[in-house]
Amino acid sequence: MANRPESNFAGQLAKRLGEHSYLIDAATGDTVLPADLPRLISSFATSLLSAGLKQGDPILIGCSLSPPSAIAYLGAIYAGLVAIPIEESVLVSSLPELVKRTHACGVWTEKSCGSGATADLGIVLLDGHPRGQRTEGMPPAPCKENDLAVLVATSGSTGAPRFVMVSHGNLTANTEAIVRSQNLGTDERAMLILPVSYCFGASVLHTHLFQGGGVVFDRRFMFPDKVLRAIKEHECTTFAGVPTVYNILLRRSNLRRIPMPSLRRLLQAGGPLAPQRVTEMRAVVPAAKFYVMYGQTEATARISCLDPEHLDQKLGSVGRPLDNLTVRILDEEEGDLPAGQTGEIAVGGPSVTLGYLDEPEETSRTFKDGWLRTGDLGHLDADGYIWIDGRKGTFLKMRGVRLSFAEVEAKVTAVLGVYECAVTSVPDPEVGEALALYIVPDKDPLDLVERVRRSLPTHWTCESVNIVSEIPKTARGKISRAALAKKGTRADG
Amino acid sequence: MDNVLVRVQDVFHEAFGVDARLISLDTTPNDVPAWDSVGHLDLASRLEQAFGISLDVDDLMEMENVREIVRIVNSKL
Repeated sequence: MANRPESNFAGQLAKRLGEHSYLIDAATGDTVLPADLPRLISSFATSLLSAGLKQGDPILIGCSLSPPSAIAYLGAIYAGLVAIPIEESVLVSSLPELVKRTHACGVWTEKSCGSGATADLGIVLLDGHPRGQRTEGMPPAPCKENDLAVLVATSGSTGAPRFVMVSHGNLTANTEAIVRSQNLGTDERAMLILPVSYCFGASVLHTHLFQGGGVVFDRRFMFPDKVLRAIKEHECTTFAGVPTVYNILLRRSNLRRIPMPSLRRLLQAGGPLAPQRVTEMRAVVPAAKFYVMYGQTEATARISCLDPEHLDQKLGSVGRPLDNLTVRILDEEEGDLPAGQTGEIAVGGPSVTLGYLDEPEETSRTFKDGWLRTGDLGHLDADGYIWIDGRKGTFLKMRGVRLSFAEVEAKVTAVLGVYECAVTSVPDPEVGEALALYIVPDKDPLDLVERVRRSLPTHWTCESVNIVSEIPKTARGKISRAALAKKGTRADG
Repeated sequence: MDNVLVRVQDVFHEAFGVDARLISLDTTPNDVPAWDSVGHLDLASRLEQAFGISLDVDDLMEMENVREIVRIVNSKL
């Protein structure tokens, strides 16, 4: 396969920018005009190469929900570099580790991070706003579809971060499929409060620009009314949030009093949002269509989308796979399960990424034979809709932070009177995922539930403590979380 | 006011694990990494408990720095 400029994702995107492609900083009002944006991207790319960086070099990009960081991110991809978007505050506080981990040859931050801390890292340091020269910048760097475009850090509060390798072809395929699934027009404008370092945030940026639309950035979501007023003022058509965002809007904002007539769609992903919250959001903003989606960084961004036309009928589902993806449900021996049976969700198609940086073993486990093992447990219904039942992996995500099952199990097993413990996660409207504990007592379980609850740190939300006579195990003697997830489903249903 | 500030500093320490002495009237969310949208709600509920007050949505929108927080708390005592 030859190197072609049209395989460059940011090159394609820059070419498709249109008269609506404004980038606006809602907090300051700073605006990049559609006429300037393509040149800003291409001349930033030129400046990276002039600074001594070469095609294929990884570069850390400080992201801070602003037009300059979006331009720097796209410009790096356009130049054929490998962009590594990291929240700017995180990047500044852990630069040496990030450089070591990602082999970055350069770093760009919006604000200067001071030469003192970085002088001995031996990398190219760039900061400040990308500026367009009068002359046109370079054409997009020719590349292959499988060339690395972005390294995306997956969330995690402890241990080393993990980086997912995303290719130009991955980005193009996922962007095109998302555009189709959301029926995105050419005159859209997104309100973006999610960082571009998070795959969901990046996908909103990509899709809207790819269609010739624009993006408003707002980092003030801790004061949600400001964001709602900015949606109104800038006539945004799309808003994207994770469950916590919608919970905050419904309970801690003046959502009901601030009209947003321009909104056409609300996007929700990043974990389960309670169906009653979806219903409430639709009642408050009836003109906007509500899209429930499911995705993973390992699949570039989005995997499935619940068509708003079928929301009532399929409320609680995450919809059907995007039109260029195939989803399978696998049992613990990797066989395909029929509709209605819970197993691990596996995904195949052009947006399944290249794997984890420098982790060949984990890559071959997770991306076996081209099928991404998501670690999520779910089932398909007779119409092919995906229903998530739990999480198979070793972590759950509570308040946006990953918590390892092993850590919880170790803590609970240490409580006097607990013989064995297994934990699974259940969707929780407040914190994303909460704990459900299954305990085999070693003698009289009197007071055990209460003592176990008291032993948990206060920031761990525990939905239930269940006394059971045995923990379901796989043939290899490991806790079968698939069976536990089913227990949980039955208890709820 | 001073006494309220000291108690607000304690709440910041509990909510965000920061050294209470580093919290001044001029502290804003930019100065405290954990003070994000979720942290803001946690902070609000801890303030409600610590002072026995109730904060409404408009109060939350106005809590843009420690000075405003102290002012709002004082207005409710």
